[in-house]
Amino acid sequence: MRAVWAIAYGMVKELVRKKDFYVLVIFMFVLLGFLSYQNFFQVKGISRYVRDFGYSLLMFFSFTIAVTFTAKQLPSEIESKTIYPLLAKPLSRHMVIFGKFCGGVMISTISFTIFYAIFTGFYMTGGGKSLVLLGQGFIFGVLFLCMVSALVMFFSNFITMSANVTFIFLLYLTIRGFSDFLRGIILFSKGIVATLYGILYCLLPHLEFFDLRIRITHAWDPLPMWVVFTVVGYTVLYCCMLLSLAGYIFERKRL
Amino acid sequence: MQQKVIIAKNLYYTYETGNKRVEALKGVDFSVDNGEIFGFIGPNGAGKTTTIKLLLGILISKNGELAIFDKSPSNSNTRQTVGYMPEIANYYRYLTPVELLIMYGNIFGIDKDLLHKRIKILLELVDLEEVANRLMRTFSKGMMQKVSFAQALINDPDLLILDEPTGGLDPVSRKRMRGVIQDLKEKGKTIFFSSHELSEVELVSDRIGILHKGQLLAVGSAKDLLGEKEEGQSLESYFLKMIEERV
Ligand SMILES: Nc1ncnc2c1ncn2[C@@H]1O[C@H](COP(=O)(O)OP(=O)(O)OP(=O)(O)O)[C@@H](O)[C@H]1O
Ligand SMILES: [Mg+2]
Repeated sequence: MRAVWAIAYGMVKELVRKKDFYVLVIFMFVLLGFLSYQNFFQVKGISRYVRDFGYSLLMFFSFTIAVTFTAKQLPSEIESKTIYPLLAKPLSRHMVIFGKFCGGVMISTISFTIFYAIFTGFYMTGGGKSLVLLGQGFIFGVLFLCMVSALVMFFSNFITMSANVTFIFLLYLTIRGFSDFLRGIILFSKGIVATLYGILYCLLPHLEFFDLRIRITHAWDPLPMWVVFTVVGYTVLYCCMLLSLAGYIFERKRL
Repeated sequence: MQQKVIIAKNLYYTYETGNKRVEALKGVDFSVDNGEIFGFIGPNGAGKTTTIKLLLGILISKNGELAIFDKSPSNSNTRQTVGYMPEIANYYRYLTPVELLIMYGNIFGIDKDLLHKRIKILLELVDLEEVANRLMRTFSKGMMQKVSFAQALINDPDLLILDEPTGGLDPVSRKRMRGVIQDLKEKGKTIFFSSHELSEVELVSDRIGILHKGQLLAVGSAKDLLGEKEEGQSLESYFLKMIEERV
């Protein structure tokens, strides 16, 4: 575990020092600017529209950071040949993948926490509030970033960094746009078609599970605990599966 | 009886990229004894780095046998007592030498106090104390090479594998590194290194292996290799003659 931590920590430290990390500051100001600008014109405090857009914005920014920073890791280690002294250490390749994954989760969670804190600040000035729901939103956000980092780690075994980034963005948009549609097809079709769509539905990473936008915007009741635990379980299972597969493939990769 | 630290039997390795196949190693046999300095020489593309990557389990040979301390290189625990200095010294440029050594030390699971003591000694050894806390992106090639040497020693390895360790170093640093290698031998460490500096190889190695196009042409001490030939012949002229005979 100390080895995994060492890799993740080294990665975060490096990213913070590189100018790359300034993107976080830019995002932060965009979010802050948007929220305060909107808030200024709302007499009664934060409106639903601002909550809706603010939440979407912060999720999207965190997603972007998770994708771009994680996608860079393996390719740049291989490209710059820093991977060789690393692999010469008493470390399995599974551990390398896991360490990089943890680094990606750490860096995007740090960013997400900052964005979320800003959002919370404005959220508290508005109408219906639920701290429990807000807490759930935070947990789901972190889980979402775990899923995204695991997906990116997995695909960085096969495709270049830019292809990976593009692919994950497309995947995200597709899943957000089509998972309801897919559920509809499964419900209304029969036989083999239903089974095939069912399998596809189960295999797809359900990034939409983590989206509490509507609930937070309209200040609905918090989710029941069993839902939260199910989503946590789903994330752990899905990430373990992806990372094991990624490790398995990386182990067989000729470097 | 001397224990064998490295045993390589009939090693083959073929790189496959697309539909191109490069046979980098074609049946290489050698062994390295405990406490020995083994110099590995050969022209560019001979397969030295490939052999080293096999020793470290970075590449896996489908044929032949390979054991490091009687263990398989593909087992990550084998590398606990192995130090490696790669051919190209490239490290995380946004870390400092100290941070890099801490990171690697943690991967080895070295006790914190011991690690900090060792880092201090190593940075002194490679003459980098003054830049110990500077980002490596400002480092020259030779400085990176020194970092590379220091990181190879962070776990106080019993077997040190060095791929062209003196490339990019000035004559003073070179001499110093030779001295360190000799000291390590005196402490009972085993050293396997590749080099193009034949005079250097001749100077420090107990035994030398000459690799050419994926095959070992000769293995033995400088005296053994040169003994059969005329008096006063250098390893360099012997090497050149041997390679030219094959062309
Ligand atoms: N990743 C790779 N893909 C394809 N071929 C490779 C790869 N790495 C090495 N080779 C080929 O394998 C052969 C041996 O290469 P290797 O790097 O082991 O040589 P070397 O003895 O270390 O040479 P040098 O002294 O130049 O470092 C060469 O013909 C090289 O072109
Ligand atoms: Mg080489």
